[in-house]
Amino acid sequence: MIPSQDMAKHSQAEARQQAIEIQELAAPASRLPSALRFWRGWRRQVVIPYLFLLPFLLLFSFFLLVPLLYALWTSFFVERLIGGMTFVGWQNYQEVLRDGNFWEGVRNVLLLLFTQVPLMLGLSLLLALLLDSQIVRLKTIFRLGYFLPYAIPSVIGALLWGYLYSAHIGPFAQLAELLHWPPPPFLSAAGLLPSIANILTWQWTGYNMVILYAALQAIPPELYDAARVDGASGWEIARRIKIPLIAPALVLTVVFSIIGTLQLFNEPQIMTAIVPNLIQDHYTPNLYAYNLAFTNQQYNYAAAVSFVLGAVVFVFSYVFMLVTYRRGQR
Amino acid sequence: MARIGSLPAGGPVAATTRQTSAQARTGGRRGGWTLRGLVLLFLVLMLVYFVIPLFWLVVSATKTNDELFSTFGLWFAPDFHLLQNLHDVFTYDDGIFVTWLTNSAYYAVVSALGASLIATLAGYAFAKLSFPGRELAFAIILGTIMVPNTALAIPTYLLLSKVGLVNTPLAIILPSLVTPFGVYLMRVYAEQALPDDLLDAARVDGASEWLIFWRIALRLLAPGFVTVLLLTFVGTWNNFFLPLVVTNNPAYYPLTVGLANWNQLSQAFSGSRILYTLVITGSLISVVPLIIGFLFLQRYWQGGLTFGSLRS
Amino acid sequence: MNRGLLFCHARGMAKAGLLLLLAISISSYLVACGGTPASSGPVTLTFWSWVPNLQQAIDLFEKSHPNIKIKWQNVGSGGTEYTKLTTALKAGSGAPDVVQIEYAYLPQYILSGKLVDLSQYGANDVKDQFIPWTWAQVTSGGKVYAIPQDTGPMGLLYREDIFKKYNLPVPTTWDQYAQEAIQLHKANPKIYITDFSPSDGPWFFSLLWQAGSQPFVVNGTTLKIHLDDAAALKVANYWGNLVKSGAVSTAADWNNDWYAALQNGTLATWITAAWAPSDLEGFAPKSAGLWRVAPLPQWTAGEQASANWGGSTDAVTTQCQHPAEAAEFVKWLNTNPEAVKILTQKLYLFPSQKSALQDPSFDTANAFYGGQQVNRIFVESAQEVNTSFQWSPFQDYVFSQLQNQLASAVNGKISFEQAMHNTQNAVVAYARSQGFTVVS
Repeated sequence: MIPSQDMAKHSQAEARQQAIEIQELAAPASRLPSALRFWRGWRRQVVIPYLFLLPFLLLFSFFLLVPLLYALWTSFFVERLIGGMTFVGWQNYQEVLRDGNFWEGVRNVLLLLFTQVPLMLGLSLLLALLLDSQIVRLKTIFRLGYFLPYAIPSVIGALLWGYLYSAHIGPFAQLAELLHWPPPPFLSAAGLLPSIANILTWQWTGYNMVILYAALQAIPPELYDAARVDGASGWEIARRIKIPLIAPALVLTVVFSIIGTLQLFNEPQIMTAIVPNLIQDHYTPNLYAYNLAFTNQQYNYAAAVSFVLGAVVFVFSYVFMLVTYRRGQR
Repeated sequence: MARIGSLPAGGPVAATTRQTSAQARTGGRRGGWTLRGLVLLFLVLMLVYFVIPLFWLVVSATKTNDELFSTFGLWFAPDFHLLQNLHDVFTYDDGIFVTWLTNSAYYAVVSALGASLIATLAGYAFAKLSFPGRELAFAIILGTIMVPNTALAIPTYLLLSKVGLVNTPLAIILPSLVTPFGVYLMRVYAEQALPDDLLDAARVDGASEWLIFWRIALRLLAPGFVTVLLLTFVGTWNNFFLPLVVTNNPAYYPLTVGLANWNQLSQAFSGSRILYTLVITGSLISVVPLIIGFLFLQRYWQGGLTFGSLRS
Repeated sequence: MNRGLLFCHARGMAKAGLLLLLAISISSYLVACGGTPASSGPVTLTFWSWVPNLQQAIDLFEKSHPNIKIKWQNVGSGGTEYTKLTTALKAGSGAPDVVQIEYAYLPQYILSGKLVDLSQYGANDVKDQFIPWTWAQVTSGGKVYAIPQDTGPMGLLYREDIFKKYNLPVPTTWDQYAQEAIQLHKANPKIYITDFSPSDGPWFFSLLWQAGSQPFVVNGTTLKIHLDDAAALKVANYWGNLVKSGAVSTAADWNNDWYAALQNGTLATWITAAWAPSDLEGFAPKSAGLWRVAPLPQWTAGEQASANWGGSTDAVTTQCQHPAEAAEFVKWLNTNPEAVKILTQKLYLFPSQKSALQDPSFDTANAFYGGQQVNRIFVESAQEVNTSFQWSPFQDYVFSQLQNQLASAVNGKISFEQAMHNTQNAVVAYARSQGFTVVS
């Protein structure tokens, strides 16, 4: 199912053969005057690499870098409905730092970061370890089933859960009514954040599991031999050998979860239609930036909010990597 | 969770993972029957959890609007209304759903092919060619992932509007071709899958860099290429924010934006109240191609997904 | 295969590059010529509107105007459309020629100078055909920025069966309404007299409108802002007390649960507008025959004060290359007798045209409302709408602030009165920061 190392080796050998064939196609190397040699060197070390990068860099500049720089530039201005644009320096940023709405949003995503992310990744790791062990069969079905939510556009995923959470027409409320229980408070003030956390967990656990599972599969089985001789249990092998070995994959999933969670947008945006009383325009910082820009027409301030959020994301990702790196050094 | 750029979080890993015999993988002892039973129960419960919303979607797609609100959500209603719903979806508003479906497919295919090729070229250069400014450029590219894309929405629109691309398919496709994460993946993949001596041998033989890339490297990078291709495909197919911002013409909407539009209209105006069943059945149709794709391309998404983590 | 890919890709890139060049050259050409190329041959106008099934009216227009083609696009209702419109207007391209805008949102587009003054194209000729307050809302400083399309004079939809069962008379004053709300909820804790949705700013504004509040007085860039005037506080406290008593629900409106509540008898009334009766038929079909219509309850017994909720206009944007044709279309759509008939009788919009209100075929019995002549109540209501009510030139912002504050009030964090004061302060600060002069 997964291309084996043998296969990879085989295709490397094939490529070597190809290289020999190319040799016949290419012109033989010849002695060259030094100016030409310099040009060739320059060409090889600068021109050619940048030619490879050219398509990406062009599009990257046009669709990411320039818009970002433009946004950065506008964040130092204020545009009034009356009176137009004026340069204000760091004023927008100072305001963001004092803006209670912004920090309320940051608090929400941090709450998710410290509760939902560990739960989700713990579950992903557990499922990956169980599927990697020999305890179960029919792994393909489980793996595919767990991974499926990733195929659902998050917009549709949030819509789906919106129906499922409904206190009138949702199946859980219907079940509760049959049992004469009160409907589960999915969409109450207290239940909302857990409900959003659930959507995120549902959507991304399988995805992270697949990453971890593939890393587990990449561990050469010989590494377990010694442990097996010592009579270590499956659990001990998982804890002492498997988890340390897939640490890089774990780090990757954590970093992307940090970025994704702090930039949370789609789910609360869709759920606003269902519970606008609870999800206000600043429920997450990203939603806040969006509403500032598109509803309040405060483009400049919205840009500043986005960059402060970017800084928060950077700090958290960086600190996490620093911590894991330090631990790794010890 | 917001996807990162147009790419979802995560990354491919080696095609060099291996399938091993049952004996080699275990820690020796197989768990006892109770343990195995408990584990299996847990796994099945998790399966139910992940699949239930999809099951609800399938069930609901077979119901009429009335039954949707009056029958138990997790089981079928007495009469089976799926065919009628499908018919409605494909004919409502002169069959605009078919347009959205083709748009989604078109955007996803073109973006995925283009983005993975561009990312492969760039990733190869970062991994295997040394040039001034390499690490700086790479850091800048990765750094852009940190800034939320709401900051980009308005500037991108202004830019596209300046060059007259707003309300054209290119407004969706061109930005989707930029996948910083894809470049990262291809760099990591190329560092592992391409032995330096192989490339050096070809260079000594006088092969041009261009020829080396097309005739040697690309072949070895194929698994990584396919992984980025799949990730970009899913990313573009499921993308909502970008097309929402840059297209104002329903004829250019992809499925996600079209369905969200239907959903909104079904909530606001009774004249379009039958839209509920349309939104639900349409959502079901929109996820089917990806599910089929996952079924048939398992070896790529499973083999490829962890690639990015082997570094660091 | 690799080669093929390369070629494919190269060709794609070349095409993209070419398109870019083409686009740049076209736009620079347009800038150089100063826009408005001479029109010859049929002119195509894009038209954004979320009114369903508008095509039948458009077909009729195209038949009588062979030189104008209308491309109708539904880009979403309300906020979704405004978001797109605002962005496109700011960017300078991508906006439609003609666009549907609700009354409350007109001033913000007028202020930014992005709507064409239709009086240059004879809009004032049709002035007398419209209900006076609607015309007042589309004009500013002698200029006409839109043509009224439909309106929403308010009334009270109520469940006759529930009121009968609990032996309650239909309320005619708000005091009586509040008393009955408590009686009803006591008699059956599952029933609420209505739903107070804190997330529906426009609805709350219509309540302010009826109470005689005057939140904004706009004079160019000088504003009077009184979101916490006596009338506004009266309305806020009234609803605050009802919410506190638990006799009204506070769920968000316009979603599945709310539709279900209207259908299954959880909500006994709906304080709403003239476009609602046909909507209700749509989303609560099982409650057919049980609903009736009454005039809006009054603050002072014996009065007839009413207000407007919703309704929209059609405007022409400054990005339009053919404003004369566009003006002709919006005038035609909202004054041509055939078109108005389609709008009001097939698409169920409540008319802004005097003639349509008097049309006898408009005054028919409706079986869903037990054979009541539903429109009659709203036609009367339309005469009583206060004509001097004004919107702010940043109504989007006002609604979002108000909704934030009302949500906090409903969640018990602040009082309703405090919510109005907070909104007032936020809006005044915003207006000043946007360069307006705020006077008291």
